[in-house]
Amino acid sequence: MYGIQSRKDLAFEYHPQIQILRPSIHARRANITVKFQDLYGFTVEGNVDDVNVLNEVREKVREQGRVWWALEASKGANWYLQTQATSTLKTSLKLSALVNGITLKKLIRKGIPPVLRPKVWFSLSGAAKKKSTVPESYYQDLTMAVEDRVTPATKQIDHDLPRTFPGHPWLDTPEGHAALRRVLVAYSFRDSDVGYCQGLNYVAALLLLVMKTEEDAFWMLSVLLENVLVSDCYTNNLSGCHVEQRVFKDLLTKKCPRLAAHLDSLEFDVSLVCTEWFLCLFSKSVPSETTLRVWDVLFYEGAKVLFHVALAIFKMNEEELLIAHHIGDVISIIQRSTHHLFDPDELLTVAFDKVGFMTTTTISKQRKKQEPAVMAELDQRSRRLNSVNPDEKR
Amino acid sequence: MATSGNKNMNAKLVLLGDVGAGKSSLVLRFVKGQFIEFQESTIGAAFFSQTVAVNDATVKFEIWDTAGQERYHSLAPMYYRGAAAAIIVYDITNQASFDRAKKWVQELQAQGNPNMVMALAGNKADLIDARKVAAEVIPLGTKLKYSSSNQDMSKIVVQDRKPEAQTYAEENGLFFMETSAKTALNVNDVFSEIAKRLPRLQPAQNPSGMVLMDRPAQTPATASCCS
Repeated sequence: MYGIQSRKDLAFEYHPQIQILRPSIHARRANITVKFQDLYGFTVEGNVDDVNVLNEVREKVREQGRVWWALEASKGANWYLQTQATSTLKTSLKLSALVNGITLKKLIRKGIPPVLRPKVWFSLSGAAKKKSTVPESYYQDLTMAVEDRVTPATKQIDHDLPRTFPGHPWLDTPEGHAALRRVLVAYSFRDSDVGYCQGLNYVAALLLLVMKTEEDAFWMLSVLLENVLVSDCYTNNLSGCHVEQRVFKDLLTKKCPRLAAHLDSLEFDVSLVCTEWFLCLFSKSVPSETTLRVWDVLFYEGAKVLFHVALAIFKMNEEELLIAHHIGDVISIIQRSTHHLFDPDELLTVAFDKVGFMTTTTISKQRKKQEPAVMAELDQRSRRLNSVNPDEKR
Repeated sequence: MATSGNKNMNAKLVLLGDVGAGKSSLVLRFVKGQFIEFQESTIGAAFFSQTVAVNDATVKFEIWDTAGQERYHSLAPMYYRGAAAAIIVYDITNQASFDRAKKWVQELQAQGNPNMVMALAGNKADLIDARKVAAEVIPLGTKLKYSSSNQDMSKIVVQDRKPEAQTYAEENGLFFMETSAKTALNVNDVFSEIAKRLPRLQPAQNPSGMVLMDRPAQTPATASCCS
């Protein structure tokens, strides 16, 4: 009776066949905006084209499902786990594992079918391994131990629960709030440096929708913050996030020099729009299935994926952005584009084929290069602010 | 200002304040005329634009609604850099949020644009009314009709924290209003008051200035050849 549901499936079930409110012929003619539910139960607004795109996406998802099932049939269930085992045991690099690795990378970029997502994410991200290092009852014990504790983090979490994807048919219910609360509160005690940072509410909420159990969502959140993303993205002054922003600006200058120069001339700092992308991992900006397709790759290939995707959004809108002359126009072009990104393949094709190759090593070097500047800047700011305070006592 | 002689100008405006003070609600009320009890929490900042008519000119506000959680404050300079105006929001039912507002004022005074127009907004004015004073003065459930210069409201407010906030604002060169995103009290008024106070001429030595212009590249030329 502690309300812990980690073993039991959550009430929200994935329905691949959620009905779209079919736009009438009249609406079609007038190209009126229609409201419809997307694959994960979010109500979204879009035009008729968006509805059509989403229908195509559903069909592609089904096709991908058939591909994955066929592979399981031929290579055996959990075949994708063998690719991981060899990457740690470099000496016994088997050819079949290598082939599987290449197949898997391609396959993941084309999308993991929603029904397989919980299982595949859990093993490939390292969450399963992380969980296996602690006693079986870790999550239950943790949630029970901290249930009645009140901290600044829990207060902020309580404040944000009804403000996390309001209107979602499961997340925005007492049950949904309670599940999200337990995951976030548990994590805030697991890592007190992070505690709770706004933005994690959206990330954890989507993890809950995908993983179906609180406990698995908790472990995905842990592996994300502790292993997948750059460290200190969410800690006290978001220094990790500042580093990522600087790295991103350099990458944009390299990959889209004309656009970067143009935005510079408008005094448009790309972080104005990118910060949210990097902190919410796109969950607040692009449609849910598109976000989760990004996360499919993120959990397998790592945090560099966020750069690929962010660059792709700029690249897709390059022509239009180059003729924009106001910061306001730049933002609305980007917002309109991200809001209508119902086709994940459109985004990911640009992200990986057009943006071009980037290795994790190069990105790590870039981060190392930017860290001192970020630290100096944050330090300078806090000293400046502290020097302001003495004036207060007049 | 940069667009002197023009009837239209753009002005960057930033909203700062403690978490849950109602920054996003104020913006939503101003931009869309709506109020939603549970607004999605803002991450980083959200951008909006809205045009206000002042006398025979219009001001197009480019609004940055920032995230309130403490750790997000390290991002704030990016949003207030070059801003022509700022609204510092606190929640009148929350003393800590007022203290936080003062810190924002100090930061803007030290780091922001020297000519920035600053407004202090004590939001959730509807709550104090219901919770503390209105129970005696106005029966609960009474529908109040608010207007920008509602005398009853200012009387009610005076009894609580208005003196402190008012005095603070006067001492620091801000203008002060109590607002309610929920009832729309004073929301449009804060923005139009800012629009009225925006300097009409941009200092020549600061071309990137506080106010965003229609054609930034042409400004210095206009300034030098027309004077």
